[in-house]
Amino acid sequence: MAEEFRLNLNIKKIKEVLKADVVQGKKLLSTKINGVYASDLVSDVLAYSKSGSVLLTGLCTKQVVISAYLSLFKAIIFIRGKKPNKEILEFAEEKNMIILLTENDMFEACVKIANADSNSISNFVKLIESVEKKNTIIRKFHIDGQDFSNSGLLSTQIKSILQNIGYDPYLIKRVSISAYEGEMNVVMHAKEANLILNANEKEIQIIIDDRGKGISDIELAMQKGYSTATEDQRVLGFGSGMGLPNIKKNSDELKISSEVGAGTKVEMKFYVIQE
Amino acid sequence: MHEEKCSHIWEMVDVIPCFIITEKCYHCGKIATYFSTEHTPPIEEYREGVHLWNFMGSAQSIKFNLKCTKCDKLEKFDELLGVMMCTGCDEKCEVNVLLKKLEPKRTWIYVAFGYLPIDEKKQLSPKQISILEDYFNQRRKSSKSTIKIVSHKLVNNIANCYAEIIKDVDMLCLTLPEK
Amino acid sequence: MQLIEIIEKLNLKTLTNVEERNVEGVFISDMLSDVMTNAKSGNLWLTIQTHKNTVSAANLVNLAAIVITHEKEVPQETIDLANRFYVIILGSDLSTYELVSKLVGIGLTP
Repeated sequence: MAEEFRLNLNIKKIKEVLKADVVQGKKLLSTKINGVYASDLVSDVLAYSKSGSVLLTGLCTKQVVISAYLSLFKAIIFIRGKKPNKEILEFAEEKNMIILLTENDMFEACVKIANADSNSISNFVKLIESVEKKNTIIRKFHIDGQDFSNSGLLSTQIKSILQNIGYDPYLIKRVSISAYEGEMNVVMHAKEANLILNANEKEIQIIIDDRGKGISDIELAMQKGYSTATEDQRVLGFGSGMGLPNIKKNSDELKISSEVGAGTKVEMKFYVIQE
Repeated sequence: MHEEKCSHIWEMVDVIPCFIITEKCYHCGKIATYFSTEHTPPIEEYREGVHLWNFMGSAQSIKFNLKCTKCDKLEKFDELLGVMMCTGCDEKCEVNVLLKKLEPKRTWIYVAFGYLPIDEKKQLSPKQISILEDYFNQRRKSSKSTIKIVSHKLVNNIANCYAEIIKDVDMLCLTLPEK
Repeated sequence: MQLIEIIEKLNLKTLTNVEERNVEGVFISDMLSDVMTNAKSGNLWLTIQTHKNTVSAANLVNLAAIVITHEKEVPQETIDLANRFYVIILGSDLSTYELVSKLVGIGLTP
């Protein structure tokens, strides 16, 4: 079954992440969105039933706009530089619909919108706290353990947050690899965890605090190839035992504390080198 | 003859959306095809020389040219309406014979189809077809399979051809609601 | 990324014969002209088009596989044609947008 997507997005946010032009409905930027739908088929758009959604499409004809209106879409995003004609814009204006234009292709556009909304990706990752002060961004996420099909989602999102801030690509790569390994450890070994990302101009810090079985011998876990992963997990290609050594290799500071039967706390730091 | 030294790497340029229009003459039974950039096809029948053309159908598609990324040579494809994949529908068709011969090597046959009637309209040259074939094979980047492109002149009976045309289907199935 | 790995991780249905292929990038469109113009060799193509001529388009530009989203039923004639031309068709019950999030999750990013 398709999951219910609890979006927490408005048009302004979508405009920002897609670097889109709002060609109709400039005054409606704060409009909240109930869902996102990607399609180029008029018949399909007509069959869609969640009102107040945004439609992503590469088909730039009046029929699409009319069917989007009939299906109660609030906004339409035309991808890959497609430009609507006057007739389309007039229809949209009359019906109070918003039209955005982006140069992104469909895949890029979907990914950027999904990344922009921390609740949209899945219920696996939940944003529980978000602080934005001058030069500092703090995000607190919750991760569910044992959900292999969704693993890696959070590190992808962290990568996208850091890219938006504009850190050096090599630094971002090191942080995302480490975050991925940390996330995988939670998925494999723990029941659940909180992940805190604290990024400022001096350093990026990630703290993963899990509730699980804990590590009895941290030194042993730090050795290359050591893994307690079960056979099932190895089949999926995970659990190669490289997790903690890989984080150590990629981070500037690493602190691990653990209590058997309670959980493990992994704190990693990455220095931002000023030019 | 300088340019022939270039081993061209082609890219698709000048892509414009348009409609492939099909018409039939009720006097001689011939079928005509052409590109139209108009939004509404000519539904009314009209006379052209000996023909009385009647609108049969339209499909949304694109028109394009190819340009060499190395030497900027532009090859125009005004006579190309689209490509379709031979599915081997007619035992007597030469294209099918070719498909059967090349299928074990995973070489697939596409028909470059152009304006109809063949004897009355300008057709793609063998050189243009060969460039088109080069372009798609370059883009496919595959060592395991290739495609071969042939002219629609080779098709036994184009009116009964079941090759799979690359066109946009179901795009405009909605009739505009009356106000 | 390998196709079989993607099929397993995203729980995709295999509607045709499957062989191991390398997947490079994702392409989304329901317009075949778009595929002919913009899709790249090795792409995973997400669409809700189930007509036979998707096979023609996927084969022309050598796509890794077609993923039919939204639980759309694929006609037997499309599947038969795909098997003959070694075009792989997969199915997902997620919408295109939902499936994109999962693809990103396993590391297929633009």
